[in-house]
Amino acid sequence: MIPCIESGIPGFDDLTKSESGMGGIPENSSTLVYGPAKTGKTIFSNQFAYQGLLNDEPCLYIMTDQGIKQLETMMFDFQRPINKFIEDNTLYTINTTSEGKPQKNENIVFSYINNPTDIMVKVSYGIKYVNKNNPRFRSVLDSSTTLLTYNENMLIVRVLKAYLMRINEAGGTSIITYTEDSADKKVETILKTMVNNIVRLDGKELTVEAMNGIGKRSSPYQITDEGLVI
Amino acid sequence: MKKTHIPKLDDFLGGGIPGGSSILFCAVPGVECEAFGYQIINGIIEDGDKGFIFTNVSEPINIVYEFSKYGWNLEQFLEEEKVFFVDGCSNFIGVPSMGKYSIDEFSQIEGVVLKAIDDIPDGIGVINNLSTLLDYLDDDKIIEIISKWNKRAKEKNTILVYIFTKWDYDPKIIENIKDSVDSVVSLTSIEERVIIGQGFMVTSASWTTPSKNLVLFFVLQPGGVKIYIPKILVTGPYNAGKTSFVKSISKKSVSVERMAMEKFPTTIAMDIGHVDHKGFVADVFGTPGQERFDLMLDVLAKEAVGAFILVDSTEPQTFARAKEMINKTQSEAIPKIIVANKQDLPGALSPEQIRETMKIDKSIPIIPTVVNENNGVEEALDVLLNLLYGD
Repeated sequence: MIPCIESGIPGFDDLTKSESGMGGIPENSSTLVYGPAKTGKTIFSNQFAYQGLLNDEPCLYIMTDQGIKQLETMMFDFQRPINKFIEDNTLYTINTTSEGKPQKNENIVFSYINNPTDIMVKVSYGIKYVNKNNPRFRSVLDSSTTLLTYNENMLIVRVLKAYLMRINEAGGTSIITYTEDSADKKVETILKTMVNNIVRLDGKELTVEAMNGIGKRSSPYQITDEGLVI
Repeated sequence: MKKTHIPKLDDFLGGGIPGGSSILFCAVPGVECEAFGYQIINGIIEDGDKGFIFTNVSEPINIVYEFSKYGWNLEQFLEEEKVFFVDGCSNFIGVPSMGKYSIDEFSQIEGVVLKAIDDIPDGIGVINNLSTLLDYLDDDKIIEIISKWNKRAKEKNTILVYIFTKWDYDPKIIENIKDSVDSVVSLTSIEERVIIGQGFMVTSASWTTPSKNLVLFFVLQPGGVKIYIPKILVTGPYNAGKTSFVKSISKKSVSVERMAMEKFPTTIAMDIGHVDHKGFVADVFGTPGQERFDLMLDVLAKEAVGAFILVDSTEPQTFARAKEMINKTQSEAIPKIIVANKQDLPGALSPEQIRETMKIDKSIPIIPTVVNENNGVEEALDVLLNLLYGD
């Protein structure tokens, strides 16, 4: 039996129920959430992160296309206030947008979109930070598309590989988002081979294309005031 | 010879870096390496030489900001024209470039850096970052470019510092890059689930036979690269032989102990020793084994990078306590080995039997020893250091 953690997406844990009756996201696995632009990938990731925080699982959140203020606003809009988790140090964010530097919080750190070396250093610190209080943690990278846009694709593939490995070794459960067709098909294929689970959002249907222990499943979804609902 | 201004590194390099030489900082992903380049150029400019920073990792303005966080005033050096940027970043992300030179396509990099080298004879250039160049250019091309840069730097007596992150590349290309520079400093990590410590080691230098010591460091803002002496923990149940073990691995040691039941000494606070073994230095802290001293364990265990868990092989009833102490000292999260002591006594369990009884994972080595006779002690030390630093 593969232990799962709550996804935070209403209906997702039922959709992914295996024979053992467990559903959700397999613990200590990596998931690629992809699909066309504006289909709810970030919302999916946010709900995943928030659910973890509610369950006392700290979160390492790497943001490449929004800043911490935008994240706070977006979470708040979907009735998921995160300021509490920033205050109690269970949410650790790495921001590559230049919004609002410098920050006094030690759990809000900055990096640069062109500098994977530095991002990875911050990831290491971040893991150590969130891992301190709970070996079980979640990690979100939203989105790999921005990294791919601003850097050579092969470099980012290597970076993501190092990133996923590190989160996995540390015992975390990770999500990477990717906007379909934003990079070569080849890169997309490599991304898919690097992760354990693949979830596709097309605006109407959520499809679990791959997940340990279950076959391909899909279901319609909607984005409501309370976020993504299946 | 120019000083690197990195503590210990100058000693290992025989005094510093000779003019015209190239040095590569080769880092495992997640280990800090940019600070090395920045600290060297900052120090050398403070000493009165000139320099440039080639960047393809962030805009010059951000690098100025990073310097300020370290407490170094790059802005002033820029104003005084002691340093300039070769901006290989801004044009690619669509912001105005800032720098004496800027690059808008990759074919220009080779020539522009050559010009920059010409501009600062006897100076220093920092190339940040080589790995970000690597995937844009052919493997052969990158080696050719590095060779050209190094050749020109040699003619101009300029030092070149390369920053390189060892992502998942073909080992052959990494070897070729290492071979094309005069000196390589490897930056590695000590990890068990998370990175516990970072270390640097000079792996080659053409001008001297470097001492291949691994030095642990951390990076402070402000402050830059600082070294620290790591702490190794010796823990285990009462009377397992921890104090003797600390004494036998240390050149010098002190124990805070007193006579238990007026018969034999027992540790009531801690044992402190200092290991100096095959170029590795560490402070060793032994914890007391009795439960009434448990409140000290946390303090002693703080920031330890590795642990020896001592057990008395003839006393399986104490193994549960040993596991409890692994827990209490948070040693689950650091590299550790079990030292199975008192192997010479009748009834001693073998390492395999101990593994089975204690249900210890195969990844944790169990070393049979007779600490009193110094048997297996050096092996235990070697095995732990190998776990910490690899080969």
